[in-house]
Amino acid sequence: PDVPRCSADLIETFRAQLRDDPDVASAVAAIRALLGFLKQDRGETIQGLRSSLLAAINTLSRVDSSVAVSSAGELFLRFISLTSLEYSDYSKCKEIMIERGEIFLRKVSLSRNKIAKLCHPFIRDGARILTHAYSRVVLRVLEAAVESKKRFSVYVTESQPDQAGQKMAKALRKLNIPVTVILDAAVGYIMEKVDLVLVGAEGVVESGGIINKIGTNQIAVCAKAQNKPFYVVAESFKFVRLFPLNQQDVPDKFKYKADTLKTSQNLTEEHPWIDYTSPSLITLLFTDLGVLTPSAVSDELIKLYL
Amino acid sequence: GELMDLIRTEGQRMTAAQPSETTVGNMVRRVLKVIREEYGRLHGRSEESDQQESLHKLLTSGGRSEDFSTPYPPLRANVIEAINELLIELEGTTDNIAMQALEHIHSNEVIMTIGYSRTVEAFLKEAARKRKFQVIVAECAPFCQGHEMAVRLSKENIETTVMSDAAIFAVMSRVNKVIIGTKTILANGALIAVSGTHTLALAAKHHSTPLIVCAPMFKLSPQFPNEEDSFHKFVSPQEVLPFTEGEILAKISVHCPVFDYVPPELITLFISNIGGNAPSYIYRLMSELYHPDDYEL
Repeated sequence: PDVPRCSADLIETFRAQLRDDPDVASAVAAIRALLGFLKQDRGETIQGLRSSLLAAINTLSRVDSSVAVSSAGELFLRFISLTSLEYSDYSKCKEIMIERGEIFLRKVSLSRNKIAKLCHPFIRDGARILTHAYSRVVLRVLEAAVESKKRFSVYVTESQPDQAGQKMAKALRKLNIPVTVILDAAVGYIMEKVDLVLVGAEGVVESGGIINKIGTNQIAVCAKAQNKPFYVVAESFKFVRLFPLNQQDVPDKFKYKADTLKTSQNLTEEHPWIDYTSPSLITLLFTDLGVLTPSAVSDELIKLYL
Repeated sequence: GELMDLIRTEGQRMTAAQPSETTVGNMVRRVLKVIREEYGRLHGRSEESDQQESLHKLLTSGGRSEDFSTPYPPLRANVIEAINELLIELEGTTDNIAMQALEHIHSNEVIMTIGYSRTVEAFLKEAARKRKFQVIVAECAPFCQGHEMAVRLSKENIETTVMSDAAIFAVMSRVNKVIIGTKTILANGALIAVSGTHTLALAAKHHSTPLIVCAPMFKLSPQFPNEEDSFHKFVSPQEVLPFTEGEILAKISVHCPVFDYVPPELITLFISNIGGNAPSYIYRLMSELYHPDDYEL
């Protein structure tokens, strides 16, 4: 009897977070919702807590099936297990968890600024940047570059089917950056004019590759062919323990939106929303843990999960 | 805390004076790390991987941050001792690298190198004691330091040939290995080396010849090649086109860059005083030597 009410509340908190602050990453909103859920959980054991959290994470992924939400959920779970190992008294443990959760949220909200600070020196004066779809982290990086008085111009891909590129272009125009929106198909054409490619990521996988809006792989391959640096900016909570070897290996639950998964008969007829870019195509990753080469990513993941 | 600030300001002044001498900055960062470690040891913290940022630390740290302000009397003596150890390590680097020579050089091989590097010289000399091989030295215009290298090597009875930089590609098909030194190693595994090294690296890649870089660890610098021209040092164009050709000089612009950038994909192996490593492993070595807060002096 308790469970449906809690899960409805959870979904409502999650949605409310996203509505009130459109700038917040969906993963951060998920963690906030989970923390709220943790606070009002009335279980008495760690096992009970874990299972109710797993159920909560499942409900959240049914609302928003992106990779970031899933990795945030896993991180939160890991966080719970790590804390529970240190304290044997349950109520004390719970207090510490809540306290650390708040600290974690605070640190995570600073991560975008850290990344912007690391990344903007790589944008030179007069640079022409190509980016893909709408990424808030990339926006923040470009904002930081503008603040440090650099002049550059940006090409954004239109990014069908949801035209996210137009949203990005509008936001960039507000910052007075010269923007050109190009067709997704025009990436190969424009690559020779571009100095560097900067994209965000929805998830960073163990091999150092990324999962991002469909079309990213194409851009990476074109960039490699023309020897242009391909930079990725992502916060550290987006690291997932997946190791896809090719596009097929990415689980279906990430490829399609949550509603499509629920309603569609035959998934092979649906268009996927994300693709996987292999680490050999990526030059550098900018995260709040520092500037990493793709080979350093798995090191970070091991440090966490071991 | 105060000690670190003092050292940091000194370091900033020194690196600003000569930005291309990255080893100065590297040493300052090593010392800062030594101080942090000693402080941590006295403070009673376990020195595991507590130094680095990581997802793990993000979840478990509980918000403590180091402020380095509690004074500890034995800190000074410990730091001085650690710095002395560092000095000993620095003095022994060339020998350490040379000791690994026998594993990498085999008899009857043709080795190519460019310019003059003390590390490579010691490396080759050590191998020459037990093996017989030939060396081709690219002269590395306009300073032609390759000549000096060839003279030193031939004194040890190593068969040496000097050739011009233009002939690098032509000769590469006969070469078994390329061994070079470098000025700096960057954080992504790339090199800043003498002008002409990029050409050598590209030729080696084309012929699938392994490119081995011999460099001690103090040359590893936590900087990234973010601005293309930030590491370049230009010297007087006298070397390229002497001032006696004044009439021509008025009509053209002459540059004499000293350094070259070599991207990490072209390098096969780094040999340093702590052993052989692949370029993709550099980030790990960096995290062992320096603390992330010190990357920006």
